[in-house]
Amino acid sequence: MRQSNTYIIIFSIITTIILGGLLSLTSVGLAERQQIQVELDTKKSILRAVMDIQKGDDVLGIYGDRIESLVVDHQGTRVENDSEGVPLIAENVSIEKNFKLDPEERLYPVFQFKGDNGEIDAYILPIYGNGLWDVIWGYLALDKDLNTIKGVVFDHRGETPGLGARISEKDIQSRFVEKQLYDQAGQLISVSMLKGEGNPPESLGVHSVDGLAGATITARGVNNMIKDYLSYYENYLKKISS
Amino acid sequence: MELLSLGVRSIFVENMVFAYFLGMCSYLAVSKKVSTAVGLGFAVIFVLTITVPANWLIKEFVLKEGALSWLGAGYADVDLSFLQFIMFIAIIAAMVQLVEMIIEKVSPALYGSLGIFLPLIAVNCAILGSSLFMVQKDLNLVESTVYGFSSGIGWFLAIIALAAIRERLKYSNVPDGLKGLGITMLITGLMGLAFQSFIGIAI
Amino acid sequence: MSTETLEQPIVKKEKSEGLMSKRRRKFISDPLNDDNPITVQVLGICSALAITLKMEPTMVMSIAVLFVIVFSNLIISVFRNLIPNRVRIIVQLAIIATLVTLVNEVLKAYYYDMYKVLSVYVGLIITNCIIMGRLEAFAMGNKAWDSILDGFGSGFGYAWIILAVAFFRELFGFGSLFGFEVFEAIGISNFPNNGLMVTPIGAFMILGIIIWIQRTKTGYVEH
Repeated sequence: MRQSNTYIIIFSIITTIILGGLLSLTSVGLAERQQIQVELDTKKSILRAVMDIQKGDDVLGIYGDRIESLVVDHQGTRVENDSEGVPLIAENVSIEKNFKLDPEERLYPVFQFKGDNGEIDAYILPIYGNGLWDVIWGYLALDKDLNTIKGVVFDHRGETPGLGARISEKDIQSRFVEKQLYDQAGQLISVSMLKGEGNPPESLGVHSVDGLAGATITARGVNNMIKDYLSYYENYLKKISS
Repeated sequence: MELLSLGVRSIFVENMVFAYFLGMCSYLAVSKKVSTAVGLGFAVIFVLTITVPANWLIKEFVLKEGALSWLGAGYADVDLSFLQFIMFIAIIAAMVQLVEMIIEKVSPALYGSLGIFLPLIAVNCAILGSSLFMVQKDLNLVESTVYGFSSGIGWFLAIIALAAIRERLKYSNVPDGLKGLGITMLITGLMGLAFQSFIGIAI
Repeated sequence: MSTETLEQPIVKKEKSEGLMSKRRRKFISDPLNDDNPITVQVLGICSALAITLKMEPTMVMSIAVLFVIVFSNLIISVFRNLIPNRVRIIVQLAIIATLVTLVNEVLKAYYYDMYKVLSVYVGLIITNCIIMGRLEAFAMGNKAWDSILDGFGSGFGYAWIILAVAFFRELFGFGSLFGFEVFEAIGISNFPNNGLMVTPIGAFMILGIIIWIQRTKTGYVEH
């Protein structure tokens, strides 16, 4: 009886229905919470570029108060709707998906951080590129003079733990603060990590930071990612500075 | 060119065994003799080359958000990605079964040498792992085929090398407690150290 | 796969045995040492090594595996007389995959940071041979309560080994435990982090040494 084909088929169908039903229920039940978590995660990393976020901080509240976001195209013109006419939400623009398009066709979100007086204090730009093993990404916060770096956050998917993965650590990221992106003539120099670690402080100019020991390629990825995205945003930055 | 780079990376740099520790169970259990290791290695290459693209198709046309839109506009919002694990493992198990039956019909000789390993492969983490990495890396169909194939090669190399060392190991004087699994772990560690020199290679 | 091939079938109709009789206590204590799934039976190594970089993810992983192994053991054991023999492997896989998906969804909803750290390795619990091994070798032939205990035993046996590996890797690789800077706290501020421990190689080495120590103590020799 237990080995007959009919029994096996009926058994399989019942198992499939029960397990499938159980999974769908969980997935539907948790979907909303998962979306909140994803949103929280994005907003947290955007804010981290300009301020310290402690556990228990009301991230969504701070974000709502401080951040005003918009989307621009490669020309630096503001884009309100996507190709189907649906209003764009900057937080939902996937940098990863846009990265696969031509730079001219991408959408570029900009997050404006407002200070206590309600004036724009910093511009936070998403950045994305390739590290050693896999993709790396982050946010770059520019001061309102559009030249000085206010802060950065980096994250990665699979950089070597203890070496390249250190880019996601706070003390590496703080090396970028106060560095400058343009020279006196207004040319983009960007800021880059040097080769090797422990370079004497006096050898670091305003355009360079100390490197990562044993992670030259990840550091190079960070450099390229910052420089590339600054050039993509150049039209927009020129527009708002004039 | 990109495909070649992907292939080389998955064989040497992102080796399934040395970088991701995948497929360790059968790697340790079936590496006592080179001949059996070769058999299992080929079976893994074979199954990986089939299942990674197969799972890509499943992901692209069934599971992904909006993947069902070919059924009609009403399905455009359906997101079945929570079924990913169960679908992948079902596809792998089914593929392994299918391959087993086909080989048995077409080439009894090959079946004789590969047959006993095929059931083992369904629970080899390297197979499921490659499919999951394929999703994470967001590869396309051609890339996933190359990725599956070269991950298989990488695993094949690792198990052959280990089996060859273990055959020689019989003549060495290993402390009692370290015999078998212990010394194999240490050897794998040293082999992994060697494979680390490939880090950063890009073609 | 497993060095332990035959489980003794339980004698039918025992006189109302205590819930924690001596025989049953062995289900829990054996896998902790003499019959450890990782170091003696050589199962479930993949995930044991991949996520042991730090204590916290290792802890989460242990709990996840414990949950999956206990419940899959229970479910399979309850339905063991209904499952057709020919499709039993796929049924086992389906149940494990369902439980793992549950864990994954819950992690994503309530512990997103950890979800990002563990990424694909949660999914790989499905192919953790310990779970399949226990279902095949134990749950298919034993009563529910025994199977639960067996699940706990194997789960804890797995947990303490990977926690031990993670302990050394985080301590020497990062100088911290659960993110707490140990060496700094005891006054050694310039502790050089050991790069070997952070790489996969460190995990192989530590596991090899743990196995060596354990086997020397238990006197188990593999031939």
